[in-house]
Amino acid sequence: MAITEEPQIFLRYDNKRALTAFEEEFDNNLKIDAFESDQAAIAALKERSVPPHALFILTNQPSSQSNSSLLTHARDTHPGLLKILISDSVPLDVLVSLLEKRLIDRCFEQPLDPDLVRSHVLTSALARKSNEYVMPEAMSKDVSDVPTVLIVDDEPAATKYLARQLERMQNNFRVLCADSAEQALEIIQSMPGTLAVIMTDQRMPGMQGKELLDELKQSHPATVRILTSAYGEVNVAINAVNEGGIFRYQKKPWRAAELMSLFQEAIARHCALASARESRLSQLEHQFNGLRDQRRELLLKNLSEAVDTAAGASVMTLFLQALDTIPCLFANTSHLRASLETSLENDLIQQFGEQVHRQLTRLQAAASRHTEVDEAAIRAALQRSEEPEYEHGNNAPASSILLMLCEALTTLLTASGLSWRSLNLNQTSEHSLILSCEAPLKLYAHLLAPLTRLSRPFLDQQVALLLLFVSTYRLGGELQIRGAAQSYNLVLALPLANSPEA
Amino acid sequence: MSQGNRKLRLYVTIGQRLFRDSLLFQLLLHSDIDLVGESESGIDTLNRLESAKPGVLIIEENLLDNDGLTIAENALSMHPTLSILLISDTPVSASRLAIYLESGIKAVVSKHQPIQDLVKTLFYIRNGQVYVGAWNKPDTPSQGLINAYHALSGREREVAEMIANRTPIKEIAAQLGVSCKTVHSYKDRIFIKLGFERLPELILFMKRHHNGAAA
Repeated sequence: MAITEEPQIFLRYDNKRALTAFEEEFDNNLKIDAFESDQAAIAALKERSVPPHALFILTNQPSSQSNSSLLTHARDTHPGLLKILISDSVPLDVLVSLLEKRLIDRCFEQPLDPDLVRSHVLTSALARKSNEYVMPEAMSKDVSDVPTVLIVDDEPAATKYLARQLERMQNNFRVLCADSAEQALEIIQSMPGTLAVIMTDQRMPGMQGKELLDELKQSHPATVRILTSAYGEVNVAINAVNEGGIFRYQKKPWRAAELMSLFQEAIARHCALASARESRLSQLEHQFNGLRDQRRELLLKNLSEAVDTAAGASVMTLFLQALDTIPCLFANTSHLRASLETSLENDLIQQFGEQVHRQLTRLQAAASRHTEVDEAAIRAALQRSEEPEYEHGNNAPASSILLMLCEALTTLLTASGLSWRSLNLNQTSEHSLILSCEAPLKLYAHLLAPLTRLSRPFLDQQVALLLLFVSTYRLGGELQIRGAAQSYNLVLALPLANSPEA
Repeated sequence: MSQGNRKLRLYVTIGQRLFRDSLLFQLLLHSDIDLVGESESGIDTLNRLESAKPGVLIIEENLLDNDGLTIAENALSMHPTLSILLISDTPVSASRLAIYLESGIKAVVSKHQPIQDLVKTLFYIRNGQVYVGAWNKPDTPSQGLINAYHALSGREREVAEMIANRTPIKEIAAQLGVSCKTVHSYKDRIFIKLGFERLPELILFMKRHHNGAAA
């Protein structure tokens, strides 16, 4: 796979000495192709079928880059290519204009933090493959609500006036104001839809603008972020570009006409982002549904016979139906990549199958011994299976099916941070005992949920839940699972030893 | 800058107490790290995240009760602005790392890496940035360190040794017949040249290599 190799980068340089210093620093981790002219670099870009992972511009004159034919070519022909500018110093005006033309994605002033620069390249190289999942064409989604722009500044008089001015000039978007980052977050949280664009001042009492944008980048990735300031702090601007992924840096004072076109552009960007995201999510869901069906089919095919025979009922289907009622997190690209590009799916079926067979063998051995089911026996078995030195689910023979049932219960309780003390035992009639859990039990992931990896606790929980079904039915009982978000309520009915059917 | 002064609100979820304590001793040497909570299990972490409001969560991949990564994913779905650093038992391959980063984890550090890597990573990710360390290191970092040690001047090495033996500065100055100020400047230079920030790092390095290559 491409990503296990060194990331490849193109480097355009003016100065041989700067090139040597760069190579010394990064030669070990990056495969560098260096070019002395834009033409040579463009020619090389055209020759390659796959673009490099990043394009570096190493220059003393960053201002000349606003007309760079190389950057323009890269922007227009390879939209995903990471474009990085490195210079001794970058004047704010230059940065603002490069950002406006979308000619650069990252910017660093000398002296470099090589670890940080490297991390940006590696991250982008790792992420490259995931972009393939994004559908290139943005669905032209009809947005019925008017998009909202939020302006954050600690001078309410100025923002209120500006908002009124902007609203009078058009009907395409709504303008809201907040006079602090904290208030902005409150507004965003209470808003019914998603915020299209946010423009925030950097210097405010309390939380700073950059921090607000960092936070929104995580929580609201489709909201387009603009930083604004009256102070020409180039460091803040550079960090906001590199870390906050801002769309623009807008200098103060604001002019309504300028902001009009800025916001129009930003809204268009938001719509593209939001619809790309949506189509990606629905595509992911569709792909994952296919995977889930495949898993279900394999599990049924491989295990139904053995499980159902051991339980004396069609428990495998009941088990999978119970899992279906427990929703987990939505599938994202990490789950899909794990399923499609690693041995996860095979391992899951195989390892789960092996563990189940091992337990069924133990169950078979235990079945020959008589099981006395009453309240005292259950309590004793539960306590025993919780003792630290008790060997769980291993090859150790179990002395009874009841003990195996309690083992399974203990595993599930422990995973939920509970113990047998949370279980209620009720004898409703002479014939049966109802066992229920006070609190819902947790199941953060299960066999039919999106997964990124297999782990011991995960497999143990799945096996325990299946075994709870098997042993309950084997004892002539019944199990009810009522699913909720990542959790379930458990009610178990067991026939008593002195009941006629036992 | 004022934003840099905000403390890093750290939550640590590590199963084994000994490992957790050792890590915390190191991390809390940094005055801008604040510990807002710790757990030994994933379930406890999810229950307490809401009230602890950490900015960064360090969590082990392999926990006893639940899968650490699953817990991390759930923590993120509740608090999307949380920065998560995953501690893996073994070094993670590039393709695996890509999967982890896509799930929203900000960085992965394996138990085989030195503590300095973890600290460095922690500071890089504190504002929600992804950090990926180099995955093909030029030479083992300890070799680089030994080279740096050999590049020290004779006097600097002498001072390094005395500091590592906990000789007070005053005494070092007396023994070498120089002023305390001079000893301090030796000490600063040693720390810069070896890339250390704290005394325990120097002591550990000197003890580890005293009888070996660096002796």
